[in-house]
Amino acid sequence: MTDRHAPGSMRTTPRRTFLADLGMGFTGLALGAMLARDGVVRADEAGGWKPPDGRPHFPPRAKSVVWLFMNGGVSQAESFDPKPELTKYAGKSIGETPFKDVQNPDKLKLARVTVVNDANGQQRNKLYPLQVGFRKYGQCGMELSDWVPHIGGCADDIAVIRSMYTTDDNHGAQTQFHSGRHMLDGEFPTLGAWAHYGLGSLNDNLPQFLSMGAREYWNARDGHYLGPAHDATPIRVDPRNPLDFGKSAGGIGADEQRIGFELVGRLDRLKAVEYPDDPALAARIKAYELAYRMQSSVPEALDLDSEPKETRDLYGLDDPATRDFGMQMLAARRFVERGVRFIQVQHGAGGAGAWDAHSGLKANHERNFRSVDRPIAGLLKDLKRRGLLDSTIVLFASEFGRTPGTQGADGRDHHIYGFSVWMAGGGIKGGVVHGATDEIGFHAVEDRHYVTDVHATILKLLGLDSRRLEIPGRKRLDIDHGRPIDAILA
Amino acid sequence: MKIREILAAIALLAFPARAEDAVDYRTQIRPIFQARCYACHGALKQKGGLRLDTVKLAIRGGQEPAITPGDIAASPLIDRVAADEDDTARMPPEGEPLKPAEVELIRAWIAQGARSPADEQPERDPRDHWAFRTPARPEVPAAQHPGWVRNPIDAFIAAGHQQRGLTPQRPADRRTWLRRVSLDLIGLPPTREELDAFLSDESAGAEDRVVDRLLSSPRYAERWGRHWMDIWRYSDWWGLGAEVRNSQKHIWHWRDWIIESLDADKGYDQMLREMLAADELYADDLDRLRASGFLARQYFKFNRTTWLDETIEHTSKAMLGLTLNCAKCHDHKYDPISQVDYYQMRAIFEPYQVRIDMVPGEIDPEKDGIPRGFDCNPEARTFLHIRGDDRRPDEGRTIAPATPAFLTPAPPGIEPVRLPPEAYQPGLRPFVLETHLAEADRRIAEDRRALEVAKAKLAEVEQVAISSPFAADRPGAGSPDDLRPIGRARLAVVVAEKTLAATEAQRAAVEARSAADRARYRPPTPADLPALVAEAARREKIAAFAKADEVASRAELDLFRAKPEKKAELGKKLEDARTALEAAGKAVARPGDSYTPLPGSRKTLESNLETEESRGKPFPRVSTGRRSALARWITDPKHPLTARVAVNHLWSRHFGRPLVPTVFDFGRKGTPPTHPELLDWLAVELVEHGWSMKHIHRLIVTSNTYRLASSSLGADERTLAVDPGNAFYWRANPIRMESEVIRDSLLHLAGELDPTRGGPPIPVADASSRRRSLYFVHSHNEHQQFLATFDDASVLECYRRADSIVPQQALALENSPLATSAAEKIARRIEAAHPGASDRDFALDAFLTVLSAEPTGPERAVVADALAAFAGAARRAGRPDPSGRARVRLVHALLNHNDFVTIR
Repeated sequence: MTDRHAPGSMRTTPRRTFLADLGMGFTGLALGAMLARDGVVRADEAGGWKPPDGRPHFPPRAKSVVWLFMNGGVSQAESFDPKPELTKYAGKSIGETPFKDVQNPDKLKLARVTVVNDANGQQRNKLYPLQVGFRKYGQCGMELSDWVPHIGGCADDIAVIRSMYTTDDNHGAQTQFHSGRHMLDGEFPTLGAWAHYGLGSLNDNLPQFLSMGAREYWNARDGHYLGPAHDATPIRVDPRNPLDFGKSAGGIGADEQRIGFELVGRLDRLKAVEYPDDPALAARIKAYELAYRMQSSVPEALDLDSEPKETRDLYGLDDPATRDFGMQMLAARRFVERGVRFIQVQHGAGGAGAWDAHSGLKANHERNFRSVDRPIAGLLKDLKRRGLLDSTIVLFASEFGRTPGTQGADGRDHHIYGFSVWMAGGGIKGGVVHGATDEIGFHAVEDRHYVTDVHATILKLLGLDSRRLEIPGRKRLDIDHGRPIDAILA
Repeated sequence: MKIREILAAIALLAFPARAEDAVDYRTQIRPIFQARCYACHGALKQKGGLRLDTVKLAIRGGQEPAITPGDIAASPLIDRVAADEDDTARMPPEGEPLKPAEVELIRAWIAQGARSPADEQPERDPRDHWAFRTPARPEVPAAQHPGWVRNPIDAFIAAGHQQRGLTPQRPADRRTWLRRVSLDLIGLPPTREELDAFLSDESAGAEDRVVDRLLSSPRYAERWGRHWMDIWRYSDWWGLGAEVRNSQKHIWHWRDWIIESLDADKGYDQMLREMLAADELYADDLDRLRASGFLARQYFKFNRTTWLDETIEHTSKAMLGLTLNCAKCHDHKYDPISQVDYYQMRAIFEPYQVRIDMVPGEIDPEKDGIPRGFDCNPEARTFLHIRGDDRRPDEGRTIAPATPAFLTPAPPGIEPVRLPPEAYQPGLRPFVLETHLAEADRRIAEDRRALEVAKAKLAEVEQVAISSPFAADRPGAGSPDDLRPIGRARLAVVVAEKTLAATEAQRAAVEARSAADRARYRPPTPADLPALVAEAARREKIAAFAKADEVASRAELDLFRAKPEKKAELGKKLEDARTALEAAGKAVARPGDSYTPLPGSRKTLESNLETEESRGKPFPRVSTGRRSALARWITDPKHPLTARVAVNHLWSRHFGRPLVPTVFDFGRKGTPPTHPELLDWLAVELVEHGWSMKHIHRLIVTSNTYRLASSSLGADERTLAVDPGNAFYWRANPIRMESEVIRDSLLHLAGELDPTRGGPPIPVADASSRRRSLYFVHSHNEHQQFLATFDDASVLECYRRADSIVPQQALALENSPLATSAAEKIARRIEAAHPGASDRDFALDAFLTVLSAEPTGPERAVVADALAAFAGAARRAGRPDPSGRARVRLVHALLNHNDFVTIR
């Protein structure tokens, strides 16, 4: 890790100390965006306000985050929160069951409708039976569905939160899950952007905030008011073309490129003699050096062929059904190993996301779980045996759950009142089920958590206090900060 | 609020106060009160009659003392702040409760006697805040160094230097100045020819002539148009797939209006008036109506409150530097803006909706048209949303439109605006009829051709039937199947005839409807109005009949051609078509006197719930006049904010930092200006020079301040120590070029920039376009990849452009096809201008071309080494023309040079 506080050649007035940081690492570079953003003042302008210095606010439990997001909405009842009552009362309308109070209008006020009278995001009254069986997994005996046998094999390492809720009953909930704000409030920085903004670099050769897989309409960017420097860098699991502008367009030889980069470095350094107090120049010199290294370090990190067969098989690279996602999971582990701070992986392209099973839920979820279950379990096991799970948080989530009632003949609609996510790794207790929904999985009834509680939990484990990351002119609300879910912390 | 103090307090909180530690009011207590209490118990508001902005006032209290020095039991403030979170008496009532450590600090401070400075002053009346008072032209400070001061800007800046003992740097060299001012004003670097011409012109006024040239260049308006597009949140439409959810199609007309207005140096006040209220002020002036794209841009399909919230927030931030949005859910915590003020502002916009007006030559609003605002629902009522929740409107009370009352000038009177007929009946615009007729004529010609083709086909089929010598010998000859081709062709001729007849009838109907429209809507009403209306009704019915006739004949043909299994279905269709035809015939017999006016505009759906019927309602004849009143108020020369905010935006883009750092917040939470007199002087100057932005540009770029070198080399110790951040302009600030300037400069130096101005945007995937970057599609969803790498504007909010420094930028300049091919072309151009030049001369040319600078001795040495190394590498790799290749590589390296992307 770079010592960002090593004495530099620059003077040591407070502003310079900060600006000197600019030249010291990737996060520092990103901080440069802070200087000129709307309403944001320079370190010497706002009575002592300073952007983060890249150090955690308190000792962290974890260094990296792997954020797995299933686009479209996973059915909680058929995955991490089995509800046999659905099968028992299948075909009955909710009003005919003992649970009719779940539709008490007071309890439904949570929803903040974006698209009035949309075809989706509606109440579905007729209960739909479970489309899959479930059983107990692990020492802890956690009940999970038969669609997640491999993740189930890691049950003793994960903490399932069964009492999540959100407020957007449409796929705007995707941006809401990432930023904590309803789509109608506008666009706000995502958790990855906050982590990137708040923390320093672990590795100077790689971007620190990566994104793999499909990002849909509702969740396209991250930095927003923190600036585009805090957008995730999109990465493709293809060593030949891993990132935008990652490879020369002009048939320029490696030798020529090296000479070119050296020449730019020399010329910029000569400029620095003429302009001794130019932090942007200092930062750009570093950025060029990093860019040069990134051209080889990113493909190197994506060289999955260098992994032994046993490892590749662990992630399901031997099976066409699991290969694509398995490669992303294996790449994620390699990025974690190389100190990348935040790795966001979205699963399920197309429409509002592949998991959006308004019809044909059984076939849909069977197929989707088949493609992610083994790779995710592979990631957990591989991180664990390498001693990396202790310092890596893995989150599994989707924007909302799916209705207990049926939509059409064989689908489930969007469901915001109760759904599940799980976390594992650095600082998280394993084998834990936290919170609960009612008998039919409609409302979160015990230990309810809004999506920002997940953010608060992750930031706490990373050693960050989100209130100390606030910047002038951008007052955040209490609900934006959330509260850490202490019950699942080890 | 002093954030430093809060941070200090927080730092101290890490060590809970012990009773024996002396608590310091100034650093430990007041920051808590300021952050958590002043909004309701200070100068802004005195809830319960209580103020806490001085200890004396706190002791005096409201109904009872809030604190009693040395007596916790008689200090109810402690009970209130220490109350349980769900206790309704808990203070503050909103947000997180005070932390236990904070409560303990306050308790200890009271116990120790609630000591405070004797001269403690209460907060000032918020209405006296500097930015809420109309600026008066300040006196220009007397110049201490007359030689240094070229214009009043310099006098103010020099006074700042003097006050702080700062010594300004020397001016930048002339090449640097020329590159700076060129990039600044037109967004393109000087060419070699411009550079040489300027350097050889040592006569007085050479700089002024450059500035004149640049300000009158058509490129100026594109450069500064993009700045204002940032501030005004310009965005092409976006949505899901083909569905428009945000902004509008053809919004580029507004972009072109911005550019043309800047080109013509239209007054800033006039621009704002047109953007907010062209539909009321220039109701039938399509050129000016383009400005109302500002309103169309705010369109959001799914939630009217979100739509209006954004309209209010960004009108206020961009034009007034006010965070009115903070008063949506509750009264503003820092500025004297009440929640009612917020909804009064909403009422100004409440009636407006968006429509697309037809433009000459295009009748399809999907293909072209001018997106604009108009008061569609003058009766729409505005309610305050309780706690800002749009599900809880306070329907007991209609909120009237008004501007915030705390600001002078007084809220303007609102007079309804009677619109000219062309505004509410846009079909009256002469070009509408012409366009409809031209379209009808085009279709008639097409139909005639189709008829000829059908007739020829029939003749051919008949000929085949007659002349085929074998026809009669085939089995089944003479059966109905054999006659089918003829029958089909005959029916096809009938269809073509009826299609033509329908189109002709349609044309006649268009003319009759237009004539009736003119008689009906344009005074004076002619005597033959009833006859014209009757004729329009008759012609429209005839056209409908002709169309029904065409449909029926087509149904007949379809049935004739149908496979057996389809016969029943198509038979039913034919039957329906005949019924419709019969009805149309009856309508012709009794045409009545109602007809459809000629459309000249299409309203955009108010939301996904709006029906076609309500969408088709006639436009109101009277506009509420609310937005023109708002526009008058904002552009009143006495308005304290408008001109200040504008000159701050201009200054910020010339100097790389604004005078008021919080460019969208001039309120009490904002940061005060570094140079308040200069800001006011410029604001008054703007207003008194007809709000001419070119006047301000000229003043700024011809000032001595603007000429200073950006280097701090050789600056004296005192200057460096007192103002290391250059807040007081003792040198210039280097500025990272915006993404558009980088791409445009690459193309310009490569000799490829396409100067075509205006028109529909270029798709982001079009890699071959050489147009200026501001013409690419740019929306929330679509960003041109190269531009995005260098921080293109966020369309949601961009009052200042980010200027990040990330490795991806280096990769883009190193690896993109754009930069790679630019390097080649620039190198070829340099060689073509100086054939046979030595490496040394080539390097000199390359520096001058790319960086507008001569290489220094050490730079020459480094470059010479690199050229040799490049050539060696090329030779080893067996590449042709190693030394020519090395030169391309050198140019490419210079494009990656810090000073290429920097305005020095």
